[in-house]
Amino acid sequence: MSLFWIVIRRLAEIEERMATSKKVITRDEWEKRLNDVKIRKEDMNKLVMNFLVTEGYVEAAEKFRMESGTEPDIDLATISDRMAVKKAVQCGNVEDAIEKVNDLNPEILDTNPQLFFHLQQQRLIELIRNGKIEEALEFAQEELAPRGEENQSFLEELERTVSLLAFEDVSNCPVGELLDISQRLKTASEVNAAILTSQSHEKDPKLPSLLKMLIWAQNQLDEKAAYPRINDLSKATLEDPAV
Amino acid sequence: MPSATINKHRPSELLSRLASDEPELKVRALRELKNQIIGNPTKKLSFLKLGAVPAVAGILADSIDEVTDNNNCNGNTSNILVQSAAALGSFACGFDAGVQAVLDAGAFPNLLRLLANPNEKVIDAGARALRMIYQSKLAPKYDFLQQKNMDFLISLLNSEKENVSGLGASIITRSCETCLEQKALFDAGILRKLSGLLEGGSLSQRDASLESLATIFRNNPEVISKFAGPEIGRPLSSIIDLAKDRYPRTRLLACMCLIVIRNASPHFLQDIGIKTKIIHILLELLDDPGQVGDEAPFAFSSLIAQKEDLQKLALEANAIDKLHHHLKKGSLHPRRYKGILLALADMCSKLESCRSKFLSLQVLNLVADALTDHNAGVRTAACVCLKSVTRSIKNLSAGYFMNEIIVIPLVQLFLDPSTSVQVAALGAVSNIMVDFTTRKSIFVQCGGMKQLVQLAKSMESAVRSNALWALKNLVFQADNRLKEGVFSELTASLLSSLISDPEPSVQEQALALVRNLVDGCINLIELVFAEDGYILGAIGRQLQCASKAEIGIQGMYALCNVASGNEFHKEAVIQQLFTQMGDKNQSFVIKFLQSNDSQLRTATVWTIVNLTCPSSPGAPGRLEKLRNAGIISQIKNMVNDPCVDVKLRVRTVLGQSMAFGDN
Repeated sequence: MSLFWIVIRRLAEIEERMATSKKVITRDEWEKRLNDVKIRKEDMNKLVMNFLVTEGYVEAAEKFRMESGTEPDIDLATISDRMAVKKAVQCGNVEDAIEKVNDLNPEILDTNPQLFFHLQQQRLIELIRNGKIEEALEFAQEELAPRGEENQSFLEELERTVSLLAFEDVSNCPVGELLDISQRLKTASEVNAAILTSQSHEKDPKLPSLLKMLIWAQNQLDEKAAYPRINDLSKATLEDPAV
Repeated sequence: MPSATINKHRPSELLSRLASDEPELKVRALRELKNQIIGNPTKKLSFLKLGAVPAVAGILADSIDEVTDNNNCNGNTSNILVQSAAALGSFACGFDAGVQAVLDAGAFPNLLRLLANPNEKVIDAGARALRMIYQSKLAPKYDFLQQKNMDFLISLLNSEKENVSGLGASIITRSCETCLEQKALFDAGILRKLSGLLEGGSLSQRDASLESLATIFRNNPEVISKFAGPEIGRPLSSIIDLAKDRYPRTRLLACMCLIVIRNASPHFLQDIGIKTKIIHILLELLDDPGQVGDEAPFAFSSLIAQKEDLQKLALEANAIDKLHHHLKKGSLHPRRYKGILLALADMCSKLESCRSKFLSLQVLNLVADALTDHNAGVRTAACVCLKSVTRSIKNLSAGYFMNEIIVIPLVQLFLDPSTSVQVAALGAVSNIMVDFTTRKSIFVQCGGMKQLVQLAKSMESAVRSNALWALKNLVFQADNRLKEGVFSELTASLLSSLISDPEPSVQEQALALVRNLVDGCINLIELVFAEDGYILGAIGRQLQCASKAEIGIQGMYALCNVASGNEFHKEAVIQQLFTQMGDKNQSFVIKFLQSNDSQLRTATVWTIVNLTCPSSPGAPGRLEKLRNAGIISQIKNMVNDPCVDVKLRVRTVLGQSMAFGDN
């Protein structure tokens, strides 16, 4: 039984259960009720496609489309462009990423000062990472300082980034996380979201919302009943209620 | 790993590469320029100063001509068109100097020609650039009334490409101003297209459409009723749905559209539920950290301004608490700061309940802080807010506002470089002066009174009249010492020249000031006789040629107060009433008595009452003069005046005249 089936049946089951008062529900009872809940395959496929498309897995989406017959809600060709940008940032090629974004849609960076600042900030971080200190300082002075003048929070972030230069051992300094791969991923994700929004696509896939809903619903039901819970989302196994 | 290549891209070097003959090099240079300026206002400015815009516009023009001449568009030419259009679009994006430069370089018609190019990317680039231009006030005016222009607009809106239909909507939003244009757009079926975009379009198309619809509806009940009439109930409901959309900007634009509809045609959107919903949505949009949150308070103001019922609903929705909460956050963007202050001003403009709420939350201190903000718009908004709040009679009587936190910064604003700040500060001070205790000392102590007198000499008429207004309130029922202080600071010559000021509003306030000065105490009446009766003469002259009723009212009350004095004073007044006649047979007194304005009639009759008061020895003589001038018979005709005040005073006069043996 696929993970998705279980999770979604869960959700439907719990919502039914919410009305009754706190009681103990055995696993047998629970599974019986689960079996009664009907979920359509098409809906599941759409969820999967939505996830693949939003996250940018072009080839997987293409293959999934061929194998399941599910149509994506966005042109797969535009995904490749977006993915190229995301990848460039993840590899630290920020200048390349900026050029690609501007080719895709020049308005994105022109109307999104925060995103533009973060990309420029990432460029600065990459310069510092590569030991190009003089260039980094010149870059900070010429490109980032004017932005800092216009905006208090930009200034603070700029100061944090420049402070990397003050430390001998960057891996242990308070702003060390800026050099971490996670910072690149954060910036990449921000660009990805902006491109999706500009294409009038929702920037978040539906699947996480569904899982959040499950967790919330379980928490609500916890106040009213003891029942087999899903505690590990990745396994989605039912764990017996505490007696 | 590519490095930041700052040294390579010296601006002048880049511009020289633009001039290259090699198409590939040209494209590369254009692309580099574009990538340098996008998102970077500083670079836009520096390239602008180096003449980049005419250079790029020239390249665009040449390439377009090439396309037309050769009747084809090869790869390189397309690239040049795309990159140059993108660069021009970026110069124009949110940057007025850039828009002006693009227009001055003659690029506009060429960008339009791009829309007919076979290559989709070229069309997109052209449409985007034009959209950026139309977002600015500097965009050329679009003449909707010409048929071919309307046809072109329709073709834009019909396009499937988002950028192109978006351009059509931007043109409407920017250029549609008059009722005639609104009607022309309606007649051409544009509204239907726009509402089609509302329902079936993408996010940006919906947003653009909402803005255009609001522009077409603004102040035009006829177009609205045709659009939202009973047969086409749907469009209005789709706008209402969009007010609950997941995207904040869409919610804001939808609310703004609904507000435009409601303000033009109040019988729409009557339902309390809908009104409350819009209030809640706008208040919640304040949480948005970006531009949407900055604009939300302005939309809120446009909803509630001047409307007590909506202010009441908003009060119940805790609007003041929420606005206060955002004000407390501090380091606000100036636009947002100004918007929140003005929203509070509108909330407190009419209802005492709102003002009580405002004061109970201690918002006053935050507003006082804003008086010293470095942004002039914020300072003005803070003063406007104070003006609203200080309408609270309850708190004025308690002298609540006459304290250092408020008064001292306000007085400092009298010296503000910006005239609108000065005028707004004067407005707030005028209210505070209406202080029924006589504790005006703080104001005088911090030099406020002297400042007001200085401002009464300003070059700006709005500043003069507002300063006089404040002085008028300052001396209202004030003690003699204060009144004398004000008078000696003003001087008789200044006061009389203000009475004779070219601006009617200044004349009115100056006369009202005199009225308040001489009210109540005989000694003060002497003031109008200072320097050979300058002031009295000025009053008389002004009454002779009063351009509006209000001037007559204040002037007559001033004379009335003087005539409440001793024999000498009464004689002087009656002389004023007659000496100004000149060639005219009729004294202005008769004109005033026959006025439609009941207040003017009242003031005039009161003056006659004081002049003919039986206890003074000269009364019979004055009565005779009045009778000879036909004034008494005019008064006799007013025995049944519709205004009660007039009627009662008329009877007093007639009673007094009979005491001297009238026929």
